Amino acid sequence: MAEYIIEAHNICKDYSNKRVLNSLNLQLPAGGVHAVVGGNGAGKSTLFRVLLGLVQPTSGSASILGCDSRELTPQIRGKIGFVNEDHSLPEWMTVKALTKMQKSHYPQWQDDVYQQVIGNFFLRPAQKISQLSRGERAGLCLAMALAQKPEVLILDEPTLGLDVVAKQSFFESLLFTQDHDNCTILYCSHHMEEVERIADSLIIMERGEIKTVEAPEDFCQRIQYWVAEFNANPLQQAPQKDLVPDLLQLRKIDDAYHYMVLDHQADFGAFLRQHGAISPMQNPVSLDRAINAYLTRGLHLQQQKYLHKQEKV
Amino acid sequence: MIQIVTGDPRPISKQIVDGIRMKIVTGELVPGSKIPSVRGLAMQLTINTNTVARAYAKLTDEGLVEARKGLGLFVCPPRQLLSDAEREKRLGEQVDKFINEIIGLNYPNQTIVDRLSERLNALNTFHNSPNNPKQAK
Repeated sequence: MAEYIIEAHNICKDYSNKRVLNSLNLQLPAGGVHAVVGGNGAGKSTLFRVLLGLVQPTSGSASILGCDSRELTPQIRGKIGFVNEDHSLPEWMTVKALTKMQKSHYPQWQDDVYQQVIGNFFLRPAQKISQLSRGERAGLCLAMALAQKPEVLILDEPTLGLDVVAKQSFFESLLFTQDHDNCTILYCSHHMEEVERIADSLIIMERGEIKTVEAPEDFCQRIQYWVAEFNANPLQQAPQKDLVPDLLQLRKIDDAYHYMVLDHQADFGAFLRQHGAISPMQNPVSLDRAINAYLTRGLHLQQQKYLHKQEKV
Repeated sequence: MIQIVTGDPRPISKQIVDGIRMKIVTGELVPGSKIPSVRGLAMQLTINTNTVARAYAKLTDEGLVEARKGLGLFVCPPRQLLSDAEREKRLGEQVDKFINEIIGLNYPNQTIVDRLSERLNALNTFHNSPNNPKQAK
């Protein structure tokens, strides 16, 4: 058994002359739910495709379950479940016919799991696939992926466009229909409330690189959020990016300055007081705010500069 | 019923710890009562079971609940886990921290004290209740 279930070494992927993955490295141990988070175009789907061997990397190598992604054998493929946002299914079949076909393909097929998931989505065997709703299609894809008893489950924005009921069924099925000790889930989503609910580890991707892999709580702890007001002439007194190198975000709301800093070692409150802040307050940070501040770092600062210019005019 | 919210500054496992601790302190969960299983609570809240397991480990560490083999987790009888000196020290630290945060807001002392006792009284903790034998004396 390989030490890591999923590995990527120095993966680069170029589409024409756009670099989508940039010397990406990733090593995931067995078990747990790993949530990949990043803006649109960060390279999440491409990474999944490279791992699954659906796309060839320009350079570097990837492996799943100890097998090179470019040479996945049918046996290894049988241990990998994949659900993406398209939920592509054979439209002309009925649920029942598809079930029968899938069953014959996978020796490890767990019919109890399959039936339970189908039940969670209120699917009936006689239904035609072309007439299923988006939520039902997602349910059927998930049921098939879980029933094959996967050791790795890769989910690419599986809940995109699902209503609240279907989403609830989706997570109930994902989290509770089988034993998780033997399944590693790699998942990406733009819904932070989902990530907060299900992720054991958070993987932040940005411009084709992996920025951090850690527990969501640990990530939140790295970010400090301070609010302070300054004496007269605040524009000149409030310390800006040049004085705070680890600044993620600085916003002025009414008369207060809202600072978000990353990995600040020294006492940031004391620093603000030195610069004339009145009673600076540290506020707790939620996961979605922390991720938002991290992914938009720099952007807000540029915008701030622009606003200052406007104010001066 | 424990409730959690996403988007809260507290991680979900902390919300569970706080929720159960509050229920114990306010007497809603009495000593000896069983708390939901890890899987049960995870299903109730649709969250990862590992998150609940982490919260329960913390509660066990704090001595608020204990595992009885094969039966589940139960609320412990109230007992003092920290020495008097340590309790005194921790209270002092938190009071200092609180004062540092609010001193700049320039409220009269009495207002601050009133606000604090109002909030504490609203909790209806075991120590405040008239049933507490210590209080009755």
